[in-house]
Amino acid sequence: MIEKQISTRGRKLPKPAVYGGIVIILALLPLFIKSNYWLHVLILTLIYIIVTASFRLIAISGQFSLAHAAFMGIGAYTSAVLSRWFGWPVWLTIPLGALMAMVIGAFVGYPFARLRAVYYALVSLFFGIGVLQIINALGIWTGSYQGLTGIPPIFGASKIPYYYFFLGLTSLCLLVMYRFEFCRIGTTLKAIAQSYLVAGSVGVNEIRYRVLALAAGCFFAGLAGACYAQYNLVLSNLSFNFMATLWIVMYAIIGGLNSFAGPIIGAAVLIIIPEFARDLKMYTPYVAAALLLIVVYVIPQGLAGLPEVIRSWYIRRKAKRVSHAS
Amino acid sequence: MLLEISGLTKYFGGLAAVQEFNMYVNEGEIVGLIGPNGAGKTTLFNLVTGILRPTKGKVMFDGRDITGKRPHEVAELGIGRTFQLNPLFPNFTVLENVVASFELHPRSSLLDAFFNTSTYRRNEKYILEQSLEIMQLVGLDKVKDELAKNLPHGYQKMLGMARALAVKPKLLLLDEPIAGMNPDEIDFTMTAIRKTQQQGVTLVVVEHNMRIMDLCDQVTVINFGQKIAEGLPKEVRQSKEVIQAYFGSEHVA
Repeated sequence: MIEKQISTRGRKLPKPAVYGGIVIILALLPLFIKSNYWLHVLILTLIYIIVTASFRLIAISGQFSLAHAAFMGIGAYTSAVLSRWFGWPVWLTIPLGALMAMVIGAFVGYPFARLRAVYYALVSLFFGIGVLQIINALGIWTGSYQGLTGIPPIFGASKIPYYYFFLGLTSLCLLVMYRFEFCRIGTTLKAIAQSYLVAGSVGVNEIRYRVLALAAGCFFAGLAGACYAQYNLVLSNLSFNFMATLWIVMYAIIGGLNSFAGPIIGAAVLIIIPEFARDLKMYTPYVAAALLLIVVYVIPQGLAGLPEVIRSWYIRRKAKRVSHAS
Repeated sequence: MLLEISGLTKYFGGLAAVQEFNMYVNEGEIVGLIGPNGAGKTTLFNLVTGILRPTKGKVMFDGRDITGKRPHEVAELGIGRTFQLNPLFPNFTVLENVVASFELHPRSSLLDAFFNTSTYRRNEKYILEQSLEIMQLVGLDKVKDELAKNLPHGYQKMLGMARALAVKPKLLLLDEPIAGMNPDEIDFTMTAIRKTQQQGVTLVVVEHNMRIMDLCDQVTVINFGQKIAEGLPKEVRQSKEVIQAYFGSEHVA
C-alpha cells in the first residue's frame, strides 16, 4: 500500500500482534492490581493518552494549540451539565460533549487557521482562558470555582468496569487517529506544516485541512473530557486551565511529537512514574523540566526516539572498537 | 491567449512593487520574464497565483477572471508554480514530496481516504505511477528515497518542478529554475523544460541567467515593477532599455 511506503519509511512498525499483546497485558492488569488507587492512576493515564494523542493530531498540521485542556473541559462540562441538571442519559451526553468540543473547535478553527506559530499559540492560549472564564461565570450550573459535584456515573462504584471501558475507548480512539494520520489526510496535514505556500500551490485548501485537524483533535479531547466527567463525578476547572494544557504539551514533547507512539509513552511515563514517589510529588514540575531539557539535548525525537538513539550509539561504539583493533 | 495580465498594480506601503503591468502569454509558448533583482518578477508570480492580492488590475486565465482567487483555487484551474526559495516539503522524501503534491488529479474524498476504499486505493496506485513517471522526466528517480532537505541545490529545484507538474498544469510558472546550477544541471533542466512544453504545457520562466533566452518564444523585461521591453529574445537582447537596466547607462553604445 502506498501510504505504508509514505509514512513508515526506513522504520519498521511493530506487527499488529505486538499491539494485540500490549492490549491483552493491559486487560489482564486488574487481576494483579487490587488497589483502587492504582486503577485510578491507570484510568487517568488512559484518558490523558487520548487527550495527548489528539493534541498531536492537531500539532502535525502545524497548529500548536494551547487551548487543548479547555476543549477537554468543554466536553466535560457539556456532558456533566446535561446529565446532572437535565437528567439526560450518560450515553447520550458523552457523545454530545465530544460533538460540542468539535463544533466549537471547527468554529474557531476558521479565524485560527490564518494564524501561525507564536500568534497561533497566543490566540489559542487566550481562547482557552476565555473558555474557563465562561465556565466560571455560569455559576451554579457549572459549580463555578467551587466545582461541580453530583455528576451521574457511567457504572457503579467499582473501578474495574471503568478500567475496561477506558481501555477499549483509548484503543479505539488511537486506532481512528492512527488511520487519520497514516492516510492521505495526514500526509497533507504534514505537508501544510512544512510549507503552507507549497501546499497551496499544488491545490491544497490549507484552511479546510487545518480546520479539519482542529475539529478532529477537539472531538477526541471533548470525548475524553466527557468520559472523565462521568467517571470522576466531580469537576474542578483547575483540571482544564492553562497549567493542564502545559502538562499535555509536556507529555507530547517528552514522549516525542514526531512519532505516533510519543504521546502514549509521554503520558504514561509522566503520569505513572511520579506515583511511585508520591511524597516527592511536589517536585514533579522540576523533574519534568529537567526531563524536557534532556529530551531537547539528547533525544530530540522524545522518549519514542530513545531506541533509535541507543542503536546509533551502539553502532558507533562498535565501529570505534573495530577501528581501534585494526 | 492563455494568460492575460492587464493594469496589474501592487503597492507595499508606498512602494509600487508592480505598476500598471500588462502581459499576455499564448498557449504553447515559453515566455521569459527577466529583470534585475527586486524588479518585481516574483511579486508578479505571487499576484497571479493568489499568494498576494493585487491593489489594482486584472488577471485572466483561460477565459476566466482569476484576480484575487486563493492559491489552491488557482492551482485547481490549472496553474502550477515553483518557488525560488524553499521549493519543497523538507522532511518528506523525494517520492513523498511528489505524491503529496497530487492533491487535485485524482482527488480522493476524505471519507474514501479514511476508510481506504477501492476508489482511494486505485487513486493512490495511479498517483504512485504518475509520480515515478514525473520523477523520471526531471531525473530524480535515482534519489527518490532521499529526504528532500538533503538534496543538492540543483536537485531541489528539479523537485520543485516535479511537484508543480503533479498539478497537471496548463500553465507552469517557474521561478528561477536554473539559478545557482552548474552547466550540466542547466542543460538538463533546459531539456526538461523543453520536454514539458512538448507535452502541451505553457510556461512562464522568471530568470536572471540569460541562457534561458535560448528557450523562449517571447521575452518580457521588467524593472522597478514596470515593463521596459518585450518581444523576441534577439530583439530584447539589443534593446537599449534592457542593457541600461542591467549594466547601467554608460554601457549603452
